[in-house]
Amino acid sequence: MTPLIELRDITKSYHGSTVLHIPRLVIKQGGIYGIMGPNGAGKTTLLSIAAFLLTPTSGTIYWEGADVDTMDKHQFRKKVTLIIQNPYLFHTTVEKNVAYGLKTRRIPPQERKEKVEESLRLVGLSGFDKRMAHELSGGEAQRVAIARALALEPQVLLLDEPTANVDRQGIEQLETILRQLNEKFKITIIVATHDINQAHRLSDEVIYLFDGKIAKSPMENLFKGRIVKKDKDLFLFDTGRIHVALPPQRDIVRHIAIPPEDIIVSHEPHATSARNSFAGTISHVADEGKFVSLTVDIGEKLRVKITKRSFQEMQLTLGAPVYVTFKSSSVETF
Amino acid sequence: MEYLWGGIQGAAVLIIGLDSEVFRTVLLSLRISLTATLIASLVGIPLGFLISTHEFPLKRPTITFFNTLLSLPTVVVGLFLYSLLSRRGPLGPLSLLFTPTAMVIGQFILATPIIVALTIAAIQAMDPRAKITAMTLGAGPFRTALTVLSEARFALTAAVIAGFGRVIAEVGTAMMVGGNIRGYTRIMTTAIALETAKGEFAFALSLGFILLFVAFSINILFHYLQAKRG
Repeated sequence: MTPLIELRDITKSYHGSTVLHIPRLVIKQGGIYGIMGPNGAGKTTLLSIAAFLLTPTSGTIYWEGADVDTMDKHQFRKKVTLIIQNPYLFHTTVEKNVAYGLKTRRIPPQERKEKVEESLRLVGLSGFDKRMAHELSGGEAQRVAIARALALEPQVLLLDEPTANVDRQGIEQLETILRQLNEKFKITIIVATHDINQAHRLSDEVIYLFDGKIAKSPMENLFKGRIVKKDKDLFLFDTGRIHVALPPQRDIVRHIAIPPEDIIVSHEPHATSARNSFAGTISHVADEGKFVSLTVDIGEKLRVKITKRSFQEMQLTLGAPVYVTFKSSSVETF
Repeated sequence: MEYLWGGIQGAAVLIIGLDSEVFRTVLLSLRISLTATLIASLVGIPLGFLISTHEFPLKRPTITFFNTLLSLPTVVVGLFLYSLLSRRGPLGPLSLLFTPTAMVIGQFILATPIIVALTIAAIQAMDPRAKITAMTLGAGPFRTALTVLSEARFALTAAVIAGFGRVIAEVGTAMMVGGNIRGYTRIMTTAIALETAKGEFAFALSLGFILLFVAFSINILFHYLQAKRG
C-alpha cells in the first residue's frame, strides 16, 4: 500500500546548521503516530514541514506516492491541519474561531453553522459557540483549536504538544477525543510530545527524535559528551565519567544512547568480542513483569533489562558487584 | 485677573448658547481633520503592514525615516506645501492654496507618518501565532494579512487616533495653506491664534475649551485602546 505521506532525505537548516535530518519517514493512512523527543529535538520543525508550512532545505515529500514539490502547496495545506503548541485563538467568539477555516474554503453560511456545531460537539464543547475565546481555560482553548481543525475534515491532524498547558483531567479528555477521531473518521494523527507515556498511550507507532534525527528506540541510557579518540576501527566517546567504544562515525557525535536490552550482565568479565565491558554494582532493582529492570552503577548509572528468569538464575541482589557488557555497534549516536 | 474671568464667563455663554460662529468653526475643524485622518489611514495602515511584514534592503532606514517624520514641524510642512500650491508653484494651476483641500493635504502629510510608524510597531508586536494559525487553517496570503490586521485592531485604532490627535491640534500647516479665512478655512486652532491677537478672549477661550475637550477625549480613548491591545 502506498503510504499517505513519505518524507525522504528531508533536511532543514538555518544559517548553515542542520536542525532536522530525516532519511526516511513513512506515515500510513489512519495511523496514530507519536513523535517523542526532548525540547529542541526538531519536533515542531518536522510537524511544520509535514503541514507544508515550512519548506525543507532539501529532500522530497511524497503524498500518496506523488512528489509534492511538483504540485500546489496550498492545495496540500488544506488536507493537513496543524494545531500549534499553545494554540492561538482569534480575539472573537468560539463560533467564529471554528468557522474561520470554513470561510477560507468558501463554505456557505448554513453548512458552516452545522459544521461548527458538529465540531464543537465532537470535542465536548456544545453550547460554547457564543463564548469569547479569551475567556476559556487552557484545556477548553485546546479543544476549540481541535474543533477548528476538525471542521475542515482534514486527512491528517498534526498536534504539537497538545497537552502542554492542560490539566490532568483535560489531558485524559483530549486523548480520548483524539482516539475517537481516529477510529470514527479514520483521521491520521501525528502528535508531538515530550511525554513518553503519552506517546505510548496514544500511538500505534512512536518515532523518537533526538537532535533532529530519528533514533531507533527510546532514549535510555542517554549520555552527553564528545569523542576523545579516533582510531581506524574504533572511536572512544567520553561522557565525563566513562569511556564508551563506538564504531567509527561520520558525523559529529554529541550524545549516545545504549538500549537496555542490548546490555549483558554477568558475574565475571564477559569474554566476547564486545568492546565495552564495565564493572559496577547494582543500585536499583525493579520488577517489570517478565523482565527485571536493573540499574547498574558503573560510574554512570546504566539501566539494564534482563529476563526475570536470568535474574533469578544469576541470583542478583541489590548492591551486588556485576559486569555489564555491550557491543560498540549497539550504541546509538547523535 | 478680572478680564480673564470675564473671558471664561463669555466663553461659557458662547458654548452653552451654541453660538453659530463657534460651532461652524468646530465642525470645519472636525471635517478637515477627520478627512485627512481617514485618507492617511487608508494609505498608512497598508503601508505600515507591508513594511513590517516584508524583508527588503533599507528596511531599517525606512522605519527610521517614518519615525523621524513623527517630529515633522507643522510650519515646515506648511511652507513646503505653500511653495508647491502657490500661484507660481508647480501645482499653482490647481488653485488649491487657501482652500480646505489644501488643509486636508497638509494634515494628511502630518498624520500619515504617525499612522505608518504605529502600524509597524503594532504589527511587529503581534503574536506570530496569529499568522501561522491563519495559514494552518488554509488562509491565502491576502486573508492571512486581513486576519493579522483584524487581530491588531485595537493597536491600529490607537494608531489612527494618534494621527487624528496630531492634526486636530496643529496650527502651522492650517494657517499657512488655509489662510484662516472666516467661514471657509478658519478652524479652531487658527481662530484661537487670531482672536487672541485681536483681544477677543471669550471667543478664543470657548474654542480653547472645546479643543481641550476633544484632545482629552482622544487621549483617554488612545490609552484605553493601548491597554486593550494585548
